[in-house]
Amino acid sequence: MGPSADEIALEARDLRKAFGGVRAVDGCSFVVPHRKISGLIGPNGSGKTTTFNLLTGLATPDSGQVIYKGENLAGLKPYEIFRKGITRTFQITRIFREMTVLENMLSVTGLRVPDRVARERAAELIAFVNLGHLRAEYGGRLSYGQQKLLEFARALMTDPDLILLDEPAAGVNRTLLQHLLEHIHRLQEQGKTIVIVEHDMNVIMNHCDRIFVMDYGVKIAEGPPAEIQRDARVLEAYFGRRRRPEDAGRPPGAPRMG
Amino acid sequence: MTWREHLRNLALLGACGIALGILPPALSVYLRSFVLFTMMYVVLALSWNIISGFTGYTSFGHVAFYGIGAYACAILVADYGWFWIPALGVCAAVAALVGVAIGYPVLRLKGPYFAIAMLGAAEGTRVVATVWDSLTHGGLGISLPSAETSMETYYAMLALMLLTIVVAYAVGHSRFGVRLNAIREDEGAAEALGINATLYKLAAFVLSAVFPAVAGGIQAYKVLYIDPPSVFFVQITIAMALMSMLGGKGTVIGPILGAVLLYTAQELTWVNFPTAHLIAYGLFIVLVARFMPRGLMGFAIDRSWVRKGMVH
Repeated sequence: MGPSADEIALEARDLRKAFGGVRAVDGCSFVVPHRKISGLIGPNGSGKTTTFNLLTGLATPDSGQVIYKGENLAGLKPYEIFRKGITRTFQITRIFREMTVLENMLSVTGLRVPDRVARERAAELIAFVNLGHLRAEYGGRLSYGQQKLLEFARALMTDPDLILLDEPAAGVNRTLLQHLLEHIHRLQEQGKTIVIVEHDMNVIMNHCDRIFVMDYGVKIAEGPPAEIQRDARVLEAYFGRRRRPEDAGRPPGAPRMG
Repeated sequence: MTWREHLRNLALLGACGIALGILPPALSVYLRSFVLFTMMYVVLALSWNIISGFTGYTSFGHVAFYGIGAYACAILVADYGWFWIPALGVCAAVAALVGVAIGYPVLRLKGPYFAIAMLGAAEGTRVVATVWDSLTHGGLGISLPSAETSMETYYAMLALMLLTIVVAYAVGHSRFGVRLNAIREDEGAAEALGINATLYKLAAFVLSAVFPAVAGGIQAYKVLYIDPPSVFFVQITIAMALMSMLGGKGTVIGPILGAVLLYTAQELTWVNFPTAHLIAYGLFIVLVARFMPRGLMGFAIDRSWVRKGMVH
């Protein structure tokens, strides 16, 4: 029994994307629940970021569909998808380095508001991520953690419905991270849907309502945090297979034959 | 930036305009023409800066639009008997159309590929001007009927320069300009923030094509003779780029300063060291590149004499 239509924020159907011979995403399907915080986890190279790229148009799927508000987004340009209310941050920040913090915020399109209102909103968000004193500084002069926060604030400029965060915790100090997570929860309470790719298991297990696990380009498990923590396939994807009786005598990590 | 600051800047520009407007009777014919060409290079450098400084697409072929404008004006005046001022409007329109035709395919290329494609596009327009005899008189060039007093072209160039400065200032200090900067910094991220980069780049490219074309038209009417090598001269593109870079790409003041300084330096070295002027000129450029890689404005910004960014 699947979730009903108004409980679905976005649905990926059999997404595939290959780069040369590497099948980065290889038939991945999942349903992002509406107004919830979802986590997308998996070992390095399992296809999480490529999945984000497919959802936001930065990469075009070889096949499959991305259904959002009854419409297939696959093949649309990034700016078209953005204007439908989906926004994202990047694993390695992509702030505009030779533009000030304020200019970074104002570069976002799709705000149908006068300049003054856009500036007020930018100022509020900058203050919220504790960058108020740096509004006239170049983005490239900020520390890595500050750049992450700027990117997060920038992603919120248009009041999007679906927010995809690619490793928001990496490089952000604990106090700020706590602050950021509180804000993520507040966004959820306002009715936003959030998907987080993250390696920090504390963030994933304590803050997500539902978790998707990817390995080798496919979803291998899905469920609430408590369930995922016990899932054998997940443990295997992360830590390798438990040593079995037939492995006795071989050094750990040695390739299994046959 | 507040409205007060914008008004102050506009008043400053108005004052410069009035000063330049009352100057000519006091100037010798040589100096009048020197000021005219300085103003022309301000137009060229500021225009180049819209696509290459604000948007980050370094063009090595912008002389194409200057040449097209010169030809449009010369053909209409010499062959069709037009009055030169309405012909300048046609210069702008033709440049805008050619700008779309060249820009649409070429702006898909990035970095050095775009630069070289533009070099090719400029050479292409020069070849067209050379071989399309029935329209351009080919290598013979076009002589224009002499009717000018050297005052008319001066005031036309002054008006064009003021217009170009106002447009460049408006673009630079708007959200449109901020989005062009975003494309320069990271086009993929800009698109992920809702910016239709193809459209924005094309708009910037067309803007940067129109003003050089009108400048070319005025220049044709001033010098009264044009041929393909003189108006599709690679050196003119290089001057646009060097002036913007000397003053500081991506700012509004930078290209203006760069054009005034470099054109003056070029003229002085040419007058004072006729045998070695290119060496002196080259040395000047090397020193600037070594000590002010981001130009005069970059130098000032790094020392906090000028605020960072265009929008405050």
